[in-house]
Amino acid sequence: MTNYGMVIDQERCIGCQACATSCMEENNVGLGQAWNRVLTEGGDNIETPAGSYPEDGSDGTGTMSMDFQPTACQHCENAPCVKVCPVNATYTRDDGIVEIDYDKCMGCRYCMAACPYNARVFNYDEPDHVPDDGTGSVAKRPQGVVEKCTFCSHRVEQDLDPACVDACPADARIFGDLDDEDSTVSKYVNKYETHRLLEDLDTEPSTYYVRGEMTPGRKRIGKELEGTERKDVALPDGGDDA
Amino acid sequence: MSETASTGGFGTPGKVWLGTLVVLVAAGVLAWAYQLSEGLIVTGMDNVFSWGLYIMLFVFFVGLSAGGLIISSVPKFFHSDRYDSIAALGVLVSFACIVVAGLLILPDLGRPTRVVGFILSPDFRSPMVWDFAIVVLYGLFTAGYFWLLTRRDLAARGSRLAFGVKDTEAGRKRDKKLSFWAAAIAIPLAVALHSITGWIFALQIGRGDWFSPLVAPMFIMKALVSGLALMLVVAILADRFTRFEFSRELVPELGKVLGIFVAVHIVYLLAAERLPHAWAENFEFWSITSGFLVGDSLSFWLWTLVGGAIPLALLVTPSLRRKVWAVFTASVFAIVGILFEGVNLIFTGYDQLNIDAAPGVTTGTDYLNYGSSVWATSGSYTPTIVELLISIGLVALGALIVTLGLRFFPVFPGEAVETHRREESAGDAAVADGGQAQTDGGQPRTDGGVDE
Repeated sequence: MTNYGMVIDQERCIGCQACATSCMEENNVGLGQAWNRVLTEGGDNIETPAGSYPEDGSDGTGTMSMDFQPTACQHCENAPCVKVCPVNATYTRDDGIVEIDYDKCMGCRYCMAACPYNARVFNYDEPDHVPDDGTGSVAKRPQGVVEKCTFCSHRVEQDLDPACVDACPADARIFGDLDDEDSTVSKYVNKYETHRLLEDLDTEPSTYYVRGEMTPGRKRIGKELEGTERKDVALPDGGDDA
Repeated sequence: MSETASTGGFGTPGKVWLGTLVVLVAAGVLAWAYQLSEGLIVTGMDNVFSWGLYIMLFVFFVGLSAGGLIISSVPKFFHSDRYDSIAALGVLVSFACIVVAGLLILPDLGRPTRVVGFILSPDFRSPMVWDFAIVVLYGLFTAGYFWLLTRRDLAARGSRLAFGVKDTEAGRKRDKKLSFWAAAIAIPLAVALHSITGWIFALQIGRGDWFSPLVAPMFIMKALVSGLALMLVVAILADRFTRFEFSRELVPELGKVLGIFVAVHIVYLLAAERLPHAWAENFEFWSITSGFLVGDSLSFWLWTLVGGAIPLALLVTPSLRRKVWAVFTASVFAIVGILFEGVNLIFTGYDQLNIDAAPGVTTGTDYLNYGSSVWATSGSYTPTIVELLISIGLVALGALIVTLGLRFFPVFPGEAVETHRREESAGDAAVADGGQAQTDGGQPRTDGGVDE
C-alpha cells in the first residue's frame, strides 16, 4: 500500500512563502483564499519575533525567537473531516490523500467545523482569479463548495512531487510514501525528532515536522516523485522535467 | 380547507395576524432567493466562523420541538389523561418546530440542490446523517401522532381530513390504546433526536468545549426547558386569543415542572460542566468560585441570568407560580436563555483558532482588491439582514403552521361537545391574537416569536 506523507524541516524553512505562492498558482486557488500558509511562530504579526533583544552588558541571553510553521491540510489518517462529511464528498484515497469530490459537496461546512487545523476554505463568493481563466493545472471550483490542499494529487498521479515541494528553495519539504521503508520521508521520520500538529487530538496527521536538528532536506534532483519509474530515468541533475 | 372553515372565519385581528405572517414568510422567501443568486457571501459567516445564525436557530428549534411531544406523550405513557387537554396542541407545536428546524438547514448550504447526497451517497459515520434521519423521522412521526390525536374529532366534524376514519366509541378506545404505543415510541425518539443533535457538536475534538460527554444530556435538558416553556407560552396565548381553553390549574403545575427543568439545566448540569474546569485551572478558593460562577460573554449571562435565575425566582415562589403572567414571563425568559445557550455554543467553537500563529487563516470573504486584509487569527460573527430575514421568515412559517392547525384541527379540550358553544365566540376570536403582538417588530406570537 501507498501512504503519502510529507516531512517539513522547520530548521530549513526560511519563511519565503514560495510554497504558499506556488500552491495558489498550481491549484488555481481563488484570491483571498489560501490552502497553504506559512505561519510565523513568534510575535503578533507575520515575520515578527517574540521576546526582546539581548541587553547591553547582560549575560547575552536575548529571548528573541521566531520560527516558521508551514501549514496546510495534514492529510490525517483519522481525518475528522472525512468522518463528518454527510454526503461522502470528502474521502480518503487509497494512497492516503484526503480529497474532495466537488460535485458531491453541498457546502454544509461541517468539515470546516471538524478540522482542527483550519485547513479548509469555503467559496462564499464566486472565486476570483487573475488572469480570469486562472492559473496552473487544476480546474477552478464553483461557488458554494469547500476546498483544500490535495497534496497536488493531479501531479502525484503523474509521478511528480507536489508544487510546494518542488518550489521550496530551502529543500525543507520532502514528499513520499510513508509505507515505503526506503523512502526519504520514512527515513527522516525514523531518524529525526519529529512532531505532528495537535498530536493529542489523535487525528494521526501524515505531515511530520522536524525541529531541533536539521535534515539534509529534499534530494534536489528534478521534480519527479521519489520511488517512481519516472524518477529512475530522470537525470540526476534534474534536466529531464517533462 | 374542509367544511370547518365555514363555521366562522378569522376575525379582523386574526386576518391582520395571518397577513403579517404571510408577509414575513414572503420576505424570507425573497431574501433566500437573493442569497441563492449571490451565494453565502451575503451572510456574516467566513472561513473561521463557518456556522452562524442558521445553525444556532436549527439547534434552538430542534430543542423547542421537544416540549409539546413530551407533555402529550409522557402522561399517556402512564395512562394518565391529566394533560389530554393540551396534548394535541403540544404535538402541533412540536411538528411546527421540527419543520422550521429542518428547513433552517437549507439556507445554510452552499449548494442546496446537492442535499440529495443525504440519500444518494450518505456516509453513516457522519452525525449529520444520523440527524437528518432522525429529524425526518421525528417530523413524520409528529405529523402522524397529531392526526391520531385529532382524527376522531375530525370525523365527528365530518372533515375530509379524517380520511375516512369514523367517529365511533370503539374507535376512540382503540385510538387511546394506539396513542399509548405512540407515546412509547415518542419518548425514545425525542431522546434520540436531542442527543444526536448534541453529538453533531460533541463529537468534534477540534472545537474547544464542544468535545464534551455532557453535551448530549445538556441538549436533552435544554430541549425540555425550552420546549415546555414554548408549550406554556403558546397555550397561554391560544387561551387568550383563540377558542382554545387552557385549564387554569395546569398553569402552576406545569410552572413547577418548568422550574425543575430549569434548575436541573442551569444549576445542576451547568455546574457539572463548569466545575471541573474551574477547579483544575485555579488554586485559591475564591478564584475557583469565580471561575465557576462568572462567565465571560454576553450570551453566557443571557443564558444563565435571563434564562435561569429570573425564571427560577418566578417559578419557585408558590404565590407567583399561580399567576399566569408570572409563568408566562418565566417561560419567555427561559426560551430567550436557551436561544443564547445555542449562540454561546457556536461562539465557543469558533471564536478561537487551535493554531493562531500570524497571519492566521484566510477569511475567504474579505478580498476586494490588491492589499485587502484577508487574514484572521480569531473568529467574529454578526448576522446580516439577509440571514435575519430568512430566519424570521421560517419562524413565521412555524407560527403559520400552529395558527392554521389551531384553526382547522380540533385541538381543543372536549372537542365534540364544544362545537356549538365555540361557534358564537369564534366569530372574531378564532385567531384574533397577535394584532398588537406583531406590531412590535413583527415577532410571531406562537412558536419562537418571543424568543428571537
